[in-house]
Amino acid sequence: MWKLFLTNLKMILRNRQALFWSFMFPLMFTVIFGLFFGKNTSVGSVGIINQSDSELASSLVKVVKEAEVFTVTDIGTIDEARDKMQKNSLSAAVYVPENFSKPAPSADNQIRIYYDQGNAQVGTVVVGFVEKFLNQVNFQLAGTQPIFTVVTEKLSDRELTYFDFVLAGVLGLALMNSSIIGIAVGMSKYREDKILKRITTTPIKSWEFITAEVLSRLILNIFQVAVILVIGIYFFDAHIYGSIPMIFVISLVGALLFQLIGFVIASFSKTTDAAQGMATAITIPMMFLAGVFFPIDSLPKWLYSIVQYLPLAPLLRVIRGVTLEAASPFLDPKNLIIVFSWIVVSLIISSFRFRLSDE
Amino acid sequence: MQKKMKKVIEVKNLVKQYPKLTAVNGVTFDVYQGEIFGLLGENGAGKTTTLEMIEGLRKPTAGEIKVAGFDRYTQLDQIKHKIGVQLQSSAYYQFLTLREIVSLFCTFYGCDIDPISMLKMVDLEDKADSFINSLSGGQKQRFSIIASLVNDPEIVFLDEPTTGLDPIARRNLWELITKIKSNGKTVVLTTHYMEEAEILCDRVAIMDKGIILALDETHRLVEKVDYPLSVNFIDGKIDKAELEKLKKVGKLTQTLGKEKHFNLRLQKQDDLNFALSIIIKFKPESLLVGRATLEDVFVELTGKKIEE
Repeated sequence: MWKLFLTNLKMILRNRQALFWSFMFPLMFTVIFGLFFGKNTSVGSVGIINQSDSELASSLVKVVKEAEVFTVTDIGTIDEARDKMQKNSLSAAVYVPENFSKPAPSADNQIRIYYDQGNAQVGTVVVGFVEKFLNQVNFQLAGTQPIFTVVTEKLSDRELTYFDFVLAGVLGLALMNSSIIGIAVGMSKYREDKILKRITTTPIKSWEFITAEVLSRLILNIFQVAVILVIGIYFFDAHIYGSIPMIFVISLVGALLFQLIGFVIASFSKTTDAAQGMATAITIPMMFLAGVFFPIDSLPKWLYSIVQYLPLAPLLRVIRGVTLEAASPFLDPKNLIIVFSWIVVSLIISSFRFRLSDE
Repeated sequence: MQKKMKKVIEVKNLVKQYPKLTAVNGVTFDVYQGEIFGLLGENGAGKTTTLEMIEGLRKPTAGEIKVAGFDRYTQLDQIKHKIGVQLQSSAYYQFLTLREIVSLFCTFYGCDIDPISMLKMVDLEDKADSFINSLSGGQKQRFSIIASLVNDPEIVFLDEPTTGLDPIARRNLWELITKIKSNGKTVVLTTHYMEEAEILCDRVAIMDKGIILALDETHRLVEKVDYPLSVNFIDGKIDKAELEKLKKVGKLTQTLGKEKHFNLRLQKQDDLNFALSIIIKFKPESLLVGRATLEDVFVELTGKKIEE
């Protein structure tokens, strides 16, 4: 069995195309979502046209730049800013006139904000930001304090982005796709090629053959999880608050579950094509309904009450519990209970239905 | 002769019943040590099903099977160590080299042999580090047979080993199978090539629709036929009255629509002499006298011609 396990690993490595896609598919999602929602959380790019040399003007520019809410560029003239906005390389521009805050009566104390209607959101944020700054200055000059104020408080001091949410989803997606499709198609191909039958004529036991197959694929899963985490964390600043080893353990439990589902599919499908079709029909809807990309509690209630029990859904809840909240998977055992129930069900079905040779 | 020899396979009243089909319907035969035993029949006659029940791949509906002294139902593990199986058109792992496949299968039996020495037996040592897909049809079949020998089995099962091969590759394989026999192993094979069964097999069982129609040493089967003698001749000038005379002594047929080609089947030497005296008078373009073949036996028994 040990030799078969090593040989399986060798075959996985040699099947370059399959190997490439088992890494490429989840990585594509990681990179795409990383580029949209990862490291650079800037709302948009803002140009600053500062024609004043006053202290107030330069402190405004400094505050805008240091806020790290926008990507800020210095621009010479209003015309230049207009041009850039038309070419969509700029979402809004802040214009500080030449004699802004000068003590002279000719002083122009109005800051103008130009924004592209197509990027009205950015415009609103810039306006709010600048107004807040000027309000503070006004209060200071008037020597009073605002009477009514707002204090904001984050529920948790952890910084979380949408990318962190999706990264955990992509982990589950990668495990699901490579395990379900890998086993369903792999086993059907072996059956079509009569390799399973040939194996049955030798003294090796079915369970030894299957164990070697499952273990070698789990090794592949470990590498998949590692690559996704490394790319997510180092290239796109994903936040992982829980224990990394725990993520691996949960991932392997999930991979095992999906491999068993793969065996169930392989035991019902007569051809490799049928297995491919069935596997796709199961994985694609699950990808959306189990919450890889969107939180599923925003689904209609009746739908949510069903899809929350899909195999991938509780697994993602456990993974997200660890990555986003550093929660112990045993804190809310309901999710683990659902996962293990699926494992037991698919184990029972496949051990009754899956045969190396037909009767 | 076979009475003295040891039985290595005993099959009694073997039945395989599927919901809509009785694939094997009460088959009984023995295979003796060191012989090449052939199951001959058309596609769908039940040869492969019979073989796979003996090999432990399919569950019989009824019947007894003993292989190498072990019971098929209770001692399958022991049997698996004693047999080597080549499946019909079996493929092996796509991403392993021949050397790796041989040594992997070897570990299934807990044995350890040098893959190269195995591959040398079939002149495939140059291909030791190639994948199976780079082999020709004949090489694949040769490799497939070698892979069934890794555990040095007592009994080797070959399911249609030469189907789809060109004549040279087929003769190559016949040599290999004879070599296996000369190493003291028992070979059980299925085929639908009459010629192959006649040349290779010591004994043949002719199967049709799940039953054995005849079973004997190959040459005896041929002798048992009702019309063991055969004359083929080509003659455009022979007249109708003479043809009628020939029809009285034996079975005369015009072969496959060719007007000048005749086949005459006869029972006795006297009839043959008489028939030849008539045919020779007309100076035939071609005249061939021979014995019935296994194909004739088959056609006589099943009432149909076997398709290639």
